[in-house]
Amino acid sequence: MSAVSNRTRSAPMPGWLKNWLMIAPLLLLLVGFLVYPVGKLLSLSFVDAEGFSLAAYKQLFASDLYLRVLWITLKISLITTLLSVALAYPVAYLISTASPRMKGRLIFLVLLSFWTSFLVRAFAWVVILGRNGVVNQFLLSIGVIDRPANLIYSLGAVLVGMVHAMLPLAVMTMLAVMENIDRNLPRAASTLGARPGAAFWTIYFPLSMPGVAAAAIMVFVTAIGFFIVPALLGSRFETMITQLIIDQVQQTLNWGLAGAISVLLLVVVLIVFILYDRVFGFATLTGESPAGTTNRDTAARRAGAKILTMVGDASDGLIGLFPGSGKSTDAGKTPWPLTVFVWTILVLISVPAFLMVPISFSQAGLNWPPSGFTTEWYAQMWNTPVWTQALWRSLTVALGTGILSMLIGVPAAFLLARANIRGKAALLAFVLSPIVAPRIIIAVGLFYVFAELNLVGTSLGLIIGHTVVCVPYVVMTMVAVLRNYDTRLDLAAQSLGASPAKSLYYVTFPILAAGMFSAFLFAFATSFDELTIALFSSGGLSATLPKQFWDEVTLQVSPVIAAVSTCLLVFISVLIFTADRMRQRSLAR
Amino acid sequence: MSILNQGWSRRRLLKTTAIAGAALAAPAIWTPSRAEGKRIVVRDDGGIYTKAYGAVFYGPFQEATGIEVVGVQANAEPTAQIRSMVDAGAYTWDMAKISQPAILMLTSGDKKYLEPHGLESDPVIATMPKQYMSEYGVGNNVYTTVLAYRSDAFEGREAPKSWADFFNVEGFEGRRALRKHPFDTIEQALLADGVATKDVYPCDIDRAFKKLDTIKQNIDVFWTSGAQVEQMLTSGEVDLIPTWVSRAQSARAGGAPVEIVWDQNIWGLDSWSILAGTPNADACREFIKFASDAKRQAALMEYFAAGVTQPAAFDLIDPKVAQDSPTFPKNIESGVQIDAKYWLDNQAAVIERYNSWLLT
Repeated sequence: MSAVSNRTRSAPMPGWLKNWLMIAPLLLLLVGFLVYPVGKLLSLSFVDAEGFSLAAYKQLFASDLYLRVLWITLKISLITTLLSVALAYPVAYLISTASPRMKGRLIFLVLLSFWTSFLVRAFAWVVILGRNGVVNQFLLSIGVIDRPANLIYSLGAVLVGMVHAMLPLAVMTMLAVMENIDRNLPRAASTLGARPGAAFWTIYFPLSMPGVAAAAIMVFVTAIGFFIVPALLGSRFETMITQLIIDQVQQTLNWGLAGAISVLLLVVVLIVFILYDRVFGFATLTGESPAGTTNRDTAARRAGAKILTMVGDASDGLIGLFPGSGKSTDAGKTPWPLTVFVWTILVLISVPAFLMVPISFSQAGLNWPPSGFTTEWYAQMWNTPVWTQALWRSLTVALGTGILSMLIGVPAAFLLARANIRGKAALLAFVLSPIVAPRIIIAVGLFYVFAELNLVGTSLGLIIGHTVVCVPYVVMTMVAVLRNYDTRLDLAAQSLGASPAKSLYYVTFPILAAGMFSAFLFAFATSFDELTIALFSSGGLSATLPKQFWDEVTLQVSPVIAAVSTCLLVFISVLIFTADRMRQRSLAR
Repeated sequence: MSILNQGWSRRRLLKTTAIAGAALAAPAIWTPSRAEGKRIVVRDDGGIYTKAYGAVFYGPFQEATGIEVVGVQANAEPTAQIRSMVDAGAYTWDMAKISQPAILMLTSGDKKYLEPHGLESDPVIATMPKQYMSEYGVGNNVYTTVLAYRSDAFEGREAPKSWADFFNVEGFEGRRALRKHPFDTIEQALLADGVATKDVYPCDIDRAFKKLDTIKQNIDVFWTSGAQVEQMLTSGEVDLIPTWVSRAQSARAGGAPVEIVWDQNIWGLDSWSILAGTPNADACREFIKFASDAKRQAALMEYFAAGVTQPAAFDLIDPKVAQDSPTFPKNIESGVQIDAKYWLDNQAAVIERYNSWLLT
């Protein structure tokens, strides 16, 4: 699959055919395994026993419940998005400026919590924030408070849990873009007299916007689908729309109403997309030609530039207040408050994962503080083959999903980022639809398709199902990365005689390596943590790891999950350490 | 109810007697030689249940008949899965352990998603009390919702004894939790308001919500999953909580000071049901007979406080252990049986109203 755009000199085939070939696999995947099955289910909302009917929609609007819950869902998702992006930006920035060695370690910390099940993470927050939890016991012991504070079962706790879950996604997406920003540009600004604040806000920050935009959209649509975290950490007010859909699918078997709620959700998200496009423009993501964008919003752009200049001046004023740091004229140097801030965030997001280590040796179960010492939970894990089986199956499926998502997603991203085709925004919205569509609806729909294809309970079925929900992450990350990629480099290589394939291999891919790694990692990790599809399309046979976690957590709050989490932590650490070592060695050569 | 919720561990096994050995006398067609390589997949509740059933039912059944039984877990009310499997003809499972409301849900429409078992006159099954039987299911376990409380929170003062006490926030101070779902909760409100156990159904929904209004502001946590309940009881997050009894017992077994109020417990039935159209229906019938044997049901008590459905099983169970069983005569007689039909007809409206009530 050639990634060369239709600008190539001697294209052996017509541009439209090439474009089509680049996006066809993605479209076929989504039409076959998303539109068809989900559409079939959603169409149930338009029929009843007699034929066409809008009864489901009448029920939907007869009570204000569904609109209210939808509003709550949007509100929680939006706040989560703002917080995640704001907190993730400095983290991604620092990582992008770090030395390769340090970079590896920082990314490891960012992704640390990602490898334990989201259920474990949610329970970890319960243990940390509970009435007799870690924080309360600490505050009581040092005498700051004399009775336990209410930290959990509130909107605040929900946001903590959700932002925690979303930070890795936001950091990795922005990092993929920041890695490609030419450091010489802010440096040049400094040379020309800009102070560090001005150099950052007027030069660097605008260049990083595609990353911010991509991260915001992905966090937002992912957050909309959350429901377990709000259910475990929230009060009676934090009900998510997905929860209502699941109730209708599982409890009342009213698939018509479930379809109607889903349609409502999809419509509202589409409206949010359109608003986003109006205000910011998908151009920030897909990189329309400069002519197109400048024509569009000159006044707004000027205002934006003005604001950034002001922010730059203000931050220079602030920097001046810190002794020692104001004198620095090197924009590449990291101010120490930033370093402190980022490390605080990194430590905070790693806490839930590390909390599992002491608990896994405790006799007190999933309670704080741990007491006694036992290896019983490890013995239990070791003695049942289900955990290792589930781990291997999850790894196989996640690897397959990662590879398939890359094969399908990367060419599509090249097309979306580079080619001048009409309806790009619509295409992008379509690519994102697997994240927006309620997972349970996809899972039920896929079951019917898999049954026809004899894929129920197979690894291949799971890989296909997971690829549907993982490929948007790959496409979005790669589109954001390609936005900053200078295509003239390819042209230069080709003008020097490289064939399109060679320039792709020797020029394009090496430059995009960091972004591609992020994208792959994300597809891998999303599959590794996916539960609903695994649960539904495998029927419980041949469990994956999240399903095994889920069984363990729902059936008995067994500390075995802490033992498994700790083992995963060690396993992933060793894996990353080894990879790091190998990379170092290959660099040394 | 999230996939997370619902009563995983509420379930217990209860099952009345069957003449020991009768189940072993399977028809010749299922003798080991004929059935070699045959397999049925049973949806159960996972965890301790899969372990107990594996040891007491699945393994011995395979030894006796040569039919392998694989137990798989799924979410608590797997109606959506069963519907999908039968619709698509992809029988990942052959039979399932499911609740009475789920059975009604799957068989009340024109299309029946479950197979009539037709075992009513079988000598093993015939000894099972009528309340544990239905056309599409043979009772295997009774689960129940009780009031549980932390005894350390009520040291030196009167402890709660009824749902009325749970709703009496001044008389019984303490942190309270309530289920974020109307099932059982509506019944609790009515019982607390003085409705007699025999008059709970059909529920007076307005009266129930009026009663619920009185404690709405005093509920510290609305819970959604059994695991959450166990964690809250164990860590002392709340002092009083309505819960599936198995969760309270499990917290107590883990060392937490938890007491259980059995009076006015609200119980429901889990049954073995066969998926409509499965090619292994007859093997499933043999398995149901096998698992309905009183002696085998009694053996489950070694693993957990099962709600056995064969009364004769209690002759074989240590009386001390027996009183933890939801079907122990004293327990079941003081309880209310959940009216599955009532909930099937009313759940959509009541769930919607309850969800709205939560948000206001």
